[in-house]
Amino acid sequence: MSTFTDMIKAAFKGRKKSASKVPFSVLFSVFQKILQYNNQVLELMAEMGTKLGGAYIFDQQYIRSTCHHIADLVYKLIYNLNTLAPKKYLKLYDALGAINSDIEEELAGRPVIPQTEYTMPYRLITDDFTEVVGAKNANLAEIKNLLGLKAPEGFAITTQAFKAFMEYNRLLEKMDALNAAWQKGDASKKQAAEEIRRLILEGTVPQPLQKEIYRSLDNLYQGVNPEEVLLALRSSATSEDTEHTFAGQYLSLLNEPRENILQAYKSILASLYSDSVMEYRRQKELMDYQDSMAVACQLIVDAKVSGVLYTLDPRAPDRDVMLINATWGLGAPVVSGKVRADLYTMDREEPYPLKSLDIVRKPEKLVPQKGGGTDIRTVHQELQTKTCLTDEQMKQIAEAGLKIERYFKKPQDIEWAIDHEDNLVILQARSLNIKDQVANLVCDISSVLDDFSIIFRDKGSIAQEGISTGKVFLVKTEEDLDRFPSDAVLVTAYTSPRLGKVIKKASAIITDVGSPTGHMATIAREFRVPTIVNTGVATQLLHPDQVITVDARENVVYEGAVKALCYYEFVDEIFETTYEYRLLQRVLKKIAPLNLLDPSEKNFTPSGCKTFHDITRYVHEKAVEELIGLEYDRTSDTARAGRKLKFDIPLDLILIDIGGGIRDSANISYIKPQEVISVPMKAFLDGLSVPGGWDREPMSVDFGSFMSSLTRTFSSSMATPKYIGQNLAVLSKEYVNINLRLGYHFNMIAAHITGNLNDNYAYFRFLGGVTDISRRSRRAKMLAEILTKSDFRVDIRGDLVIARIKKLDLEMMEKKMKILGLLVAFTRQLDVKMNHEQEIDRLKNVFQDLKNDYIK
Amino acid sequence: MGDKQKTKILILDDEPIVLKRLKPALEKSGYDVEAFSRSLEASNRIMEQDFDIVITDLKMEGLDGMEFLSQVKERSPVTEVIVITGFATMDTAKESFKKGVFDFLAKPFKLGEIKDVVAKAEQKIKNSE
Repeated sequence: MSTFTDMIKAAFKGRKKSASKVPFSVLFSVFQKILQYNNQVLELMAEMGTKLGGAYIFDQQYIRSTCHHIADLVYKLIYNLNTLAPKKYLKLYDALGAINSDIEEELAGRPVIPQTEYTMPYRLITDDFTEVVGAKNANLAEIKNLLGLKAPEGFAITTQAFKAFMEYNRLLEKMDALNAAWQKGDASKKQAAEEIRRLILEGTVPQPLQKEIYRSLDNLYQGVNPEEVLLALRSSATSEDTEHTFAGQYLSLLNEPRENILQAYKSILASLYSDSVMEYRRQKELMDYQDSMAVACQLIVDAKVSGVLYTLDPRAPDRDVMLINATWGLGAPVVSGKVRADLYTMDREEPYPLKSLDIVRKPEKLVPQKGGGTDIRTVHQELQTKTCLTDEQMKQIAEAGLKIERYFKKPQDIEWAIDHEDNLVILQARSLNIKDQVANLVCDISSVLDDFSIIFRDKGSIAQEGISTGKVFLVKTEEDLDRFPSDAVLVTAYTSPRLGKVIKKASAIITDVGSPTGHMATIAREFRVPTIVNTGVATQLLHPDQVITVDARENVVYEGAVKALCYYEFVDEIFETTYEYRLLQRVLKKIAPLNLLDPSEKNFTPSGCKTFHDITRYVHEKAVEELIGLEYDRTSDTARAGRKLKFDIPLDLILIDIGGGIRDSANISYIKPQEVISVPMKAFLDGLSVPGGWDREPMSVDFGSFMSSLTRTFSSSMATPKYIGQNLAVLSKEYVNINLRLGYHFNMIAAHITGNLNDNYAYFRFLGGVTDISRRSRRAKMLAEILTKSDFRVDIRGDLVIARIKKLDLEMMEKKMKILGLLVAFTRQLDVKMNHEQEIDRLKNVFQDLKNDYIK
Repeated sequence: MGDKQKTKILILDDEPIVLKRLKPALEKSGYDVEAFSRSLEASNRIMEQDFDIVITDLKMEGLDGMEFLSQVKERSPVTEVIVITGFATMDTAKESFKKGVFDFLAKPFKLGEIKDVVAKAEQKIKNSE
């Protein structure tokens, strides 16, 4: 992307002039631009996130142009910051360049793999890496990382490793020649396939790849005895477990000793070119090179019982049952269908009652052999005709299966095992192909739907699409959250970050108010929970325990369980498996996550910026800091320079108006509270001056010693000594940034409040000091509890408290600012009084009373 | 509902993902949908068959969307055309409307939005019959 580099070059050219003694108004306009770009970036980022919800049709062009748009804005942010503080932040251009080149790689269709390109531990794998690790690895990692089920420890050897192996051994050219010979009839299919496999098996695994594999093995074996636990190596081809079912065509090796790994790896690669697979590809008109082999390398699970679960009967889906096959020992014989196994037929609804049980005699079992390989043993006479699963285990398998089905939106074929500690372990999950049968079931969906009554439709916005059935559970209080049952439909008036902990248990979510770009919606998308927000009517029209079907596609809520509708979803193309979805997800990782939370932490540097959001946050923070410390020409426009707030509480606060924040008629040297017309500042001051909020007792530690601790702690972030100890607020009509050092506390509050709720946010950061650590953490805990109760999203790190809230309407935002004002006033007395843990509750109640009395 | 009564829709967009998602969604709403990612093929198809509604992207390789739009209208003036584009400007919108398009949607759009527009176009066709 040459234009981009040109832009950077141009930036360096144009910035030679000295910026000393620039009029304040000029610098303010630069600062205002920064705020404006900052908001634009945040908006674009949030919009990109909502596109993952499925309600929108978007294309690659959208992803490309939005990435470029954001990159351009971030560039402008950096440029303007360097205008405010000439050449001080040039390193940000490097951070921008690095992030941008990763994004360009992604857009060009080359996924950027974290750490190294040849292996990926399961904990780092997300489903957007399916092309890199194959579907089997990706599904398993999602099940482990996101759904919280137990799965084997392991890592993936990537398709990049495959590519490196093929290139190093010049196999692609040799294969082309062999294929050509086969096409021409010079060689038989069998000969060609055999030759390709021989070339792979005799090939050399290139050194860098070997090194990576051994390094990952070392990590995998940390704390594990390699004599006792051997490896399972499984194919994870890019075509496997997708719409083309190559199931069972590729090689999997059980119980391999670690020294065999390279040979085992090559054997699995070779299975990509077996006669049958090559023939299958030919029939499906897939090219050989379109298929690529990643490998799963896992610690083997020594299973007491193993088997397969079908979450729906593939031959008769309309029976609406689950099928479990189970046998003693390892599951390979069941999977391959070589032996008969017990068959449990179960209902798909809680508590999953058993409909029928077919027990067979199981005379033998497969077990891992010491030193490698597997062996067949005779099952103890008594156990041969006994069922392998307890009722509890059956239920556990069923629950896990439906959880996986709900997430992947398709009925599942799941390999599972029960280990010797009685843990259920998921070994593999893939979609069951039931397309043909289900099509009959739901051929005329519109007539099926006529039988169900609609509770409401087209109310609110879809935040995550999908269809789900469940019982309504109304969440009003904190206690409701603790009682939230699995698979219920979460119905609530407001979205709040507090809901985060139950979202993954919910089968669907409906709210009265809320935004599809909000934090809760982001989590719902992560767990793919069908979600409709801002309906306005949900809590009125829905009542507890009512069974409903949420169609977060057509935006309809039905009375009762519309099973046909849920089946209907099974046959649809899954949006989450499209290339565009994954691409968007991958580029968003370089854009949206925020790693720089706290300016006093070590990573708060240009090189610590790993995403566009980080750079945006950094620039915002530094712009405020620079503005405070600016050496501007004070003589030219004094009216707009800092003026003191004349207040009835002893708060030494300087206000700097950057546009429309203070009445024009105000005095040149001081400002009365009623002259403040900045929406967020006015609300904040209202809260601050609530009677009884401000404790007038003298401070027990003198200000001087407090300041000395401050300068030690904040010397890097507060660059200009003359403003240390100065409370300062930068405000405009809709924006405020308040920096306070009250007593022991260092407090920053930033807010933007307009008529458009998507623009609205408030940010609160509190850092203590001076006093002993137990008091500090007590205080942090109390602040966090109060803020959480007021629906803020709160992060605590030691005694640092960061709270954020966004996208509420103007009135609600004002209320939140009042609460922050009251909280700031209130915290002044905290250190003095919080000598005991019990004080927390007492003070919380005092605060609650003040809040109830004064903030309606 | 027999096939004869179904409203016929042709979609042309050079990004397959748009077709992949739009086609089943509209079929589910009861329309008869054909989808093309190459303008030449779409262009040939409209010569063989009149469609009630045509949904087309504007900026594509090969045949320009504006040109395709003219072809459709020339061949079958009663066909309602809905333009979908990622490069929405006032000028392209104006030009499209001048050429008689029914509506103009900027990409990305919500599935519900396009369904509404299609339903309105369908209504207009029925009213004029």
